[in-house]
Amino acid sequence: MRGKLKEGASIVGVGCTRFGDLLETPEIKGLSMQELAAMAAQEAMEDANISPQELDAVFVGHAMVHSTQLPGTYSQLSKWIGAQFKAGVHFEAQCSTTNVGAAMAAMAIASGVYEKVLVVGLEATRTRVKDMSPYERVPISTEEAWAWTDYAVNQAYSVPQGYEIFSVYNGLVALGYCRKYGIAIEDYDRAMFELCRTRRLHGAMNPKAILQETLEDEAARLGFSDPWEFWKSRFNPFVAWPCRIRNVVTVADGASAMVLVRKDAARYHSEAPVDLLGFGIAYSDLPWYDKDPSLWPIDRLAWQRAYQMSGVSPRELDYLHTHDCSNIVGMCNAELSGYIPEGKWTQYARDGRLRYDGDRPMSTHGGRHAFGHAWAASAGADTYEAVLQMRGEAGRRQIRPWPETCAIHTHGYAMISTVLILRRC
Amino acid sequence: MADSIIKRYYDGLAEGKLLATHCDFCDAYTFPPTTACEHCGNPDVEWVELSGKGTLLFASHGAAPPPNARFVDIAPYTYGHIVLAEGPVVQGIITGVKAEPEELQALFERGPVPVEPDILTLMGLKVLAWKLV
Repeated sequence: MRGKLKEGASIVGVGCTRFGDLLETPEIKGLSMQELAAMAAQEAMEDANISPQELDAVFVGHAMVHSTQLPGTYSQLSKWIGAQFKAGVHFEAQCSTTNVGAAMAAMAIASGVYEKVLVVGLEATRTRVKDMSPYERVPISTEEAWAWTDYAVNQAYSVPQGYEIFSVYNGLVALGYCRKYGIAIEDYDRAMFELCRTRRLHGAMNPKAILQETLEDEAARLGFSDPWEFWKSRFNPFVAWPCRIRNVVTVADGASAMVLVRKDAARYHSEAPVDLLGFGIAYSDLPWYDKDPSLWPIDRLAWQRAYQMSGVSPRELDYLHTHDCSNIVGMCNAELSGYIPEGKWTQYARDGRLRYDGDRPMSTHGGRHAFGHAWAASAGADTYEAVLQMRGEAGRRQIRPWPETCAIHTHGYAMISTVLILRRC
Repeated sequence: MADSIIKRYYDGLAEGKLLATHCDFCDAYTFPPTTACEHCGNPDVEWVELSGKGTLLFASHGAAPPPNARFVDIAPYTYGHIVLAEGPVVQGIITGVKAEPEELQALFERGPVPVEPDILTLMGLKVLAWKLV
């Protein structure tokens, strides 16, 4: 594997809807999936100063067709984003989808086949089509959402044999981490509380986040003067001991998009283009880890490949997002990336160093818990946030000085580890 | 009718056997079995029966109700991370340990413990669970 792009590719436009509930969230309430995806795509094209007819190709991804009922999404969206007769494909890499799409677009551009590619990700994990209605939707139950999601998991053995995501992706990983570094469970719980406070603070400063209430405000609303007591209360149960429900994902409906072009044409489209310097991708089936649940071979490979392709070293990173559908997996990746020293994330979280105004800022959009998680659209939302930060457009949660080099790590169930390395031009 | 590896595995469970494949090229096991060695990709593998001896490294629990209707009657259940005597790492339901923080913490503090198969029948399917020895 050569692991190099023959020609540079740049992100010149990004778009993202508010993540929320198509039945409740004001900014997206009442929209169809076609309209939701078009909203993100049009924002990205407008941002890139490009018309849909200028595009060479459209890569559209989503994972859970049970809720959208939109397979063949490239053609079903074509009239909604104004990009008929282009080359297109519907692809999925589950929750890594949009960033795998960015890598696919970069490869297509580097090969010389396409010059301008739109990547779109969409997902509905809170609502689904009602019967065969063209516009009516109904809520999805938690069990239904996970049953559909688990179709992406080993169907020969693991799922029929009782596979359980919350323990495999949270509890077991947390226990592995605590044993490896000699961390007491209560200290771990306290660090998770601090991490959640940070993520909820970020969400509260992000008008596109699904949860825009700080943890402290939520605690007070539910009658707790001490947020730590709230954290340990019945309002925050263990989903997989020692991990609590506020350590994990908040499901959401949402869409994201980005436009990539040749690096040498980037300035034509944007005053602040962002280079996609490199990416790393690795996948595996269950079990995702050997004896040590806190160290995943696919993550190690994805990080190695991304650093190798980009020529960037960990010390150059100014901002990091790691897939935090499970906060402990996200923090294991933060350490694996080299952004945080091994065994130190709990201290970093307690010291506030992971906040937007800390020295190791992470997931300033709020992460999967506060920003929300719309499976295939989320990686694009992570990249959207990194681009805003590099441009100085992140509002109240702006990192200062603006980051120049960013890394975005995502996990696509189950399991594709993907890392993008981005740099402001 | 062609032989299905998956069906053969479940038929083995019904007889109390843990069937795997072994790769002579890299001397590693694939468990549960597939059409190729999961370590090196070699399709030329041989069926073997594992001892069933394992060590439970970590145990957590899942949610109730579970997404898979097969497990409604036993959820929430304890779920563990196990290394087998022959090397493969597996994950599965742990019987005899309540899915409660106090019991799981005691197990965590105890450290790795030996386990053996406890094959369940749920909605007509054999399920490889594990119990503490």
